[in-house]
Amino acid sequence: MEGIIFDIQRFSISDGPGIRTTVFLKGCSLKCIWCHNPESINSKKELQIVSHKCIGCGNCIAVCRNHGYEMIDEKKVYYKDRCQLCGECVSQCYSKSLQMSGKNMTVEEVMTEIRKDLTFYEDSNGGVTFSGGEPLLQSLFLKELLKKCQSEGIHTAVDTAGNVPFGSFMHIIDYTDLFLFDLKMMDREKHKKYTGAFNDLIHANLKKLVQLKKHVFIRIPVIPGINNSKEDMQKLIEFIKNLPIDLVELLPYHSLGGSKYESLAIPYELASLKTPTKEEMTEIGKWFKQANINVKVS
Amino acid sequence: MSKALSYQDRLDRIREIKMIQTKEKQRIYGTDGYWDMDDKGLIAPPESFTFTPESDQDDGEYYGAKMTGLNYRKLLESHPVYINPMSSLAGGWMYSFYDIKKPKWDSRIDYSFLHELQEKYDLVHGIGGIQHFNVDIQMGLTLGFDGLLEKINKYEKLHGEDKKEFYQAERDVVLGMLDMIRRHAAAAKVMAETETREDIKENLLKMASVNEKLLISAPETFHEACQWVAWFILFAVMYDFNGAGGSIDKYLRPFYERDIKEGILTEEEAVFHLACLLVVDNAYYEIGGTYEDGRDRTNKLTYLVIEAAHRIRIPTSICLRVHDNMDKGVLELAVKYLFEDDMGTPSFLGHDAVVEGFMKNGYPIELARQREKTGCHWCALPGREYTLNDIVKISFLAVYDVAFKEVINDSEHSPSVERIWDSFVKHLSIAVDTIAAGMDFHLKHMHKVFPELMLNLLCHGPIEKGLDISNGGVEYYNLCVDGAGLATVADSFAAIKQRVEIEKRISWEKLKEVINNDFEGAENIRLMLKNIKRFGNGDSIGDEFAKRISETFTQLVKEKPTPEGRNMIPGLFSWANTIPFGKKIGASANGRHAHMPISHGANPDPGFSDGDTPTAMAKAVASVQCGYGNTAPLQLEFDPKIGATEEGIKLIVSFIESLFHMGGTLLNINLISKEKILEAHKDPSLYPELVVRVTGFSAYFASLSEEFRQLVVNRIVEG
Repeated sequence: MEGIIFDIQRFSISDGPGIRTTVFLKGCSLKCIWCHNPESINSKKELQIVSHKCIGCGNCIAVCRNHGYEMIDEKKVYYKDRCQLCGECVSQCYSKSLQMSGKNMTVEEVMTEIRKDLTFYEDSNGGVTFSGGEPLLQSLFLKELLKKCQSEGIHTAVDTAGNVPFGSFMHIIDYTDLFLFDLKMMDREKHKKYTGAFNDLIHANLKKLVQLKKHVFIRIPVIPGINNSKEDMQKLIEFIKNLPIDLVELLPYHSLGGSKYESLAIPYELASLKTPTKEEMTEIGKWFKQANINVKVS
Repeated sequence: MSKALSYQDRLDRIREIKMIQTKEKQRIYGTDGYWDMDDKGLIAPPESFTFTPESDQDDGEYYGAKMTGLNYRKLLESHPVYINPMSSLAGGWMYSFYDIKKPKWDSRIDYSFLHELQEKYDLVHGIGGIQHFNVDIQMGLTLGFDGLLEKINKYEKLHGEDKKEFYQAERDVVLGMLDMIRRHAAAAKVMAETETREDIKENLLKMASVNEKLLISAPETFHEACQWVAWFILFAVMYDFNGAGGSIDKYLRPFYERDIKEGILTEEEAVFHLACLLVVDNAYYEIGGTYEDGRDRTNKLTYLVIEAAHRIRIPTSICLRVHDNMDKGVLELAVKYLFEDDMGTPSFLGHDAVVEGFMKNGYPIELARQREKTGCHWCALPGREYTLNDIVKISFLAVYDVAFKEVINDSEHSPSVERIWDSFVKHLSIAVDTIAAGMDFHLKHMHKVFPELMLNLLCHGPIEKGLDISNGGVEYYNLCVDGAGLATVADSFAAIKQRVEIEKRISWEKLKEVINNDFEGAENIRLMLKNIKRFGNGDSIGDEFAKRISETFTQLVKEKPTPEGRNMIPGLFSWANTIPFGKKIGASANGRHAHMPISHGANPDPGFSDGDTPTAMAKAVASVQCGYGNTAPLQLEFDPKIGATEEGIKLIVSFIESLFHMGGTLLNINLISKEKILEAHKDPSLYPELVVRVTGFSAYFASLSEEFRQLVVNRIVEG
């Protein structure tokens, strides 16, 4: 069985306990404007062009059967509509200016990568985390991966935004040791505005998940001007405080995704946004603590 | 009257003074590589000080024990006194005896029969090599300087006229040391007379009495023992750059425990003395490990040594031995301070791997456990083993280059990777044989050129037998042979295999052409060769070749002893040689430009994958260990942010354990962000206090040469 993966990151230390390998599955059912992995949203392969790495060798123009590239006034132009995503240009681009985001991989291929760091998982009580995008959009593939990991004694975590039918959760629930469940904000309209979807399904799924006594860490990205106000956070606290979850993690927004937008030719709306300061994060952390919520500030 | 200074106040002052001295050194010697090695506590001498060695030769040079002993005594007798009134320990070194000696070899002792091959393979052959073995400081603490003198006199009587010069030379060295100590004791007294601060006056008087005591007996208290070690290390570094400081938490332990029991020492004071000792010369000290029977040897002093390094915050070269039965607290504390202090200290040794490896040479486990980590990347038995550690190197790249050219220029046979490989093995074998012959030659003649008069004193055998350690004075001769540039060569083989043979993207003719032209006008081909799955990814052709090279090299070194029957031990390491080894060789098939440096230690080349994750690096380096007790270290760069939390510290601790569970031998960690190192690289003089973990040692970034700074920067930025 195959799935589509856009990255596998070893020595991942902020996606669950211990030293982990995070497998990023491509495709998402939300479209958050602050997303730092814009290549994760589209569920198909995508060509990324990192212009500054191009050395002008002309290989891509020469090998493309569909005339996807042309030189116009000494500048290379890429015609997305002509591109069949065959990847031939990428394999000939030695300067790594062209990269293919998304790769079809079998369960066994992914497992080979995961097994590389077994010793580290054992010594650090770490494991594997499946993230995305929304990994549950490939729930059957994910299920096979999780099953395989559990059968090999590898701790499993799934990082989800929750915006999928609960049926998808049911596929994987028995094979997942820990859920990292993202929440953004409580306001329905605002949620729709910034992520493209209402949050009803997400909240319903989270409630069901905790009823089934699964271990859950809630992860909240703190985005200046969008959800960092006391009002927004208080609403989240109200919602969370009665849920039997293990931990809330507050993650400061960072702008590292900016260059990725450029490479995908997607406009980036938050270009001028600053990362929240440590003090600001600590202050927000306090609000959660006051409500007796076990909180960790990154 | 002013308030008495606390120990920490005094350490802060000492650190300030050291920074002034460091800046002074950077001013005098320039910020461009006056010191491509550990800082070692050198103090710039007053301009008025000069020293000229005496000669007994027509050409104005000197060789052999007699003149070496005489000259060293003369240096010690004229060396300026240095007392920092804030410190509890007297002494500071300003002059490098071996450094000013030229030439280093007596040209009448001819080894031109080896020259052709030494040059062909660009061998660092070790002939004329100095120190790089370990001394038994515990023996020195038992005997004291006067005891050493008695020992010399005693054994001199048991030998004939032929040994007279040797014993006289050893005696000269001890007399020189005693003279220098005597002058410091006197100076401390004089300084005390005019000192107005009561506590400092008291410190100076104490310093004087401690040193007076050391003139006539072995040390008895912790303070005296620290001063004794400070002197020995100082005299030894001045003699020939010795850096071996031994198992400090082992030999100082009895003094500490006795003084604590008698109530004449506090923990705080002990930390202070240890910190003062680190300032005199940051030698390579090891801590932790096990007793001979395998029980954990962690003790209070293990903690206090780490505490002392933390309090003084200067570059030090302490190494913590890590094993499964150890007191975990000390490992956690070491990692905590590693991140907190930014000094790149301590380094971590894989105790089990080096012990089990050393046993494979045919030694019992009890002996293997005594081998101490007292150099940049190496271990040696205290005072019983001669090693030539870290000064005998074979550049895999030089050997590969010979093989590559041989095959590609052969007009009769078509080239193939396997043909280059066979040729590589053939030449590597000749290189190992040449190295072996050279080391035998060294051991035959070195004592006539520059004997180890200082270090002999703390070895078992040389004084008893009247033989220099390089001349059969000790029991064990396990000679180090390091391979260098593993990643560069593994990736070169892999690049040809993948791009020429498997994918057929370029022809052999084209490969030959671009390499001969240093990729001029062929950047695309260079990148094609470079951007393969390189050593470090774990399941790549590059990894296969790295393992194959390491195994083959190990086999060649181990298949037979030197012609005169001495054991050799393989390892993988190079730091100082990465630049010169690279300079001699043109472009290589891994996309390396002509004359650029070779890869560092056993590390994959920076940029071997997207992100160069620490786990990938650890696995890669663990997979290429030679396995006979000498190390193939892992050099890692971590973002300092990881260690900011308790959780992060625990992660690093478990990471270290994993590395050693996989068979890793040594780990050096550098903590600096990309932003900071790039900023400092622009103008290092603005960052005189920035310390980087270079390799087995830490150093002031601004004191490194530009080329070495560039290497450190590349590791961090490309990794």
